[in-house]
Amino acid sequence: MMQSSDQKKTTRRDFLKTTGLTTVALGFPTIISSRALGNADVPAPSNRIVMAGIGLGNMGGGDLGNFLNNKDVQYVAVCDVRKHKRAEHKGRVDKQYNNGDCKEFGDFRELMAREDIDAVHIATPDHWHALMVIEACRNGKDVYCQKPESRTLREGALMVETARRYGRVVSGGSQRVFEDYRKIVNQCWSGELGPIKSINVNVGPMSQACNLPPENCPDDMDWEMWLGPAPWAPYNSKRCDGNFSCNGNSWRSYSDYSSGGMTDWGAHHFGGATYAVDIRELQPTDVTLVDEGGKKYVALKYPNGVTLTHNRPGKGNLDVEGTPGEKRAPKPVPGYSVKGGIYADFINCVKTREKPFRDIELAVNSTAVSHFCVLAYTLNRSLKWDAAKQQFIGDEEANRFLDRARREPWQL
Amino acid sequence: MMPEQLDKAFDTLKTYDWGVDPNVLKPIDEAINASHGDAAARKNLEERLIAVLKTEASRAAKDAVCRALKNIGTAAAVPALAALLTDDKLSHMARYALERIQEPDAGQALRTALPKVAAKLKIGIIASLGVRGEATAIAPLQALLADGDAAIASAAAHALGSIGSLEAAKALDAAKPGAGTKAALADASLDCAESLIATGKKPAAKVTYEKLLTSNPSKLVLAAATRGKEACTEK
Repeated sequence: MMQSSDQKKTTRRDFLKTTGLTTVALGFPTIISSRALGNADVPAPSNRIVMAGIGLGNMGGGDLGNFLNNKDVQYVAVCDVRKHKRAEHKGRVDKQYNNGDCKEFGDFRELMAREDIDAVHIATPDHWHALMVIEACRNGKDVYCQKPESRTLREGALMVETARRYGRVVSGGSQRVFEDYRKIVNQCWSGELGPIKSINVNVGPMSQACNLPPENCPDDMDWEMWLGPAPWAPYNSKRCDGNFSCNGNSWRSYSDYSSGGMTDWGAHHFGGATYAVDIRELQPTDVTLVDEGGKKYVALKYPNGVTLTHNRPGKGNLDVEGTPGEKRAPKPVPGYSVKGGIYADFINCVKTREKPFRDIELAVNSTAVSHFCVLAYTLNRSLKWDAAKQQFIGDEEANRFLDRARREPWQL
Repeated sequence: MMPEQLDKAFDTLKTYDWGVDPNVLKPIDEAINASHGDAAARKNLEERLIAVLKTEASRAAKDAVCRALKNIGTAAAVPALAALLTDDKLSHMARYALERIQEPDAGQALRTALPKVAAKLKIGIIASLGVRGEATAIAPLQALLADGDAAIASAAAHALGSIGSLEAAKALDAAKPGAGTKAALADASLDCAESLIATGKKPAAKVTYEKLLTSNPSKLVLAAATRGKEACTEK
């Protein structure tokens, strides 16, 4: 029997965690310093962090605006598979700087090859995230990647490995994890709820198979590049629309590109839940499909005894079960490294080489929760997970879902 | 689920094409899930899926079949899938299934197809061999490190990095980087060395890191290899 590379990555998580300590002893920072540093209120362009954006639809356009308005950023290039999007956002950038310098790219690999770019933000459809994050790290770029960061469990592990290998600052993209759940986060970390037993998340739906009919592809669109590593399919506007619905009118509806609301809003809610009950750094050991009076839900048990449930009947979103009558010592609540939200946190960490609040490992762990739930519902059974080996235990069929072959010529 | 519904779904595959509601095939997925642990039922389903691959069914139909075989395919499905590996339109979906089928036959099929395809399809097969960790593919992958097409040579390097064994490390250490392959070779070597450390082979990993450090590496690779080499000296 072959040993797949899924299996081979067994204890690398431990190795890559320890190399940070090693680098300090060597005089290397855990994360390699960017060349772009500046201390003035408004640094000279040559001292700013040089950035570019890939995928400039809904969220990408918003991300671009946030980085463009950061005084420490010099924005130099835009990349999109749609010509009109490239032109539109080049116009925004050029207007900001009152010049015509922003470069346009249709192929992200050409953008990645530019040595003057320090960091990129990625807001493509989900099926591209891992490939682009990994390619960026290999090219020495720091990365802000929109959520959900991974499309498969194996992708998540490889993203973390590559970021650590090259000492890159890689931030996941949910601003809501820190900002939307303050009350419950503070209650949990203050210790007033006592030891936490469980937390519930209500989110969905899961994505579906797509078999939309062919339509004429606009001249403006590079369809092969939009599909990228996903299975070939004919162009259809609903297949690639970037709107936020999961009702069949967007790529978020379809399983080749997304897990639907389960990962899209799941990245926020599971991110917030794992943050609230302090299991961000962990992955579960047991993924149990529970049948409660004909209504199925998933319960994920963590090594520290906490249980995270999905759509548990009778439970609200981020409902926490503590230990009544008990208190626990308060812990300092982790947060952004600076004021200004998730974008400022990322830029600050690019300068300081600290891990950002949504460090890629934490982001991957919360997106993995969505993947576990999807798999338990899809297979209609419970699963046991070995986080060190990144394998389901004793379930060869479930392990087939760890990853998907990418369409040539794409390779992780 | 009624057997008639399953029969109807298989019947639909004969005329299935882009634009048909994919829910018509749902009984097949439901039968797959319902037959977990039932070897006879699975064998029957697999045989019916394989039969579709041997017909003139549409690309969309064979796409759907390959997705199902990814989940339940065995060595029995390999010949029908292997026949698609040289097909420009279906090679990827054949790999979609073969990459995840654990039986050695699936790896053998990919190795056999490797010299028969060119350019993009070759890169796909190389990638799948890497993901599978195919130790028996190390020799052909090593040969491809010297391919004149930098994309193929780079893909072979990454595949060897994914395999991550002592033999893969030796193949990478022995490679002469070209202008378009140096970064891929370095990344693959780092990948491979990390696997060696993770499996307790620190002396071998150290050899790879030292090779990288004397290869006029980029600053990025220099830092990564230095950290890795230091990790090899830790107890």
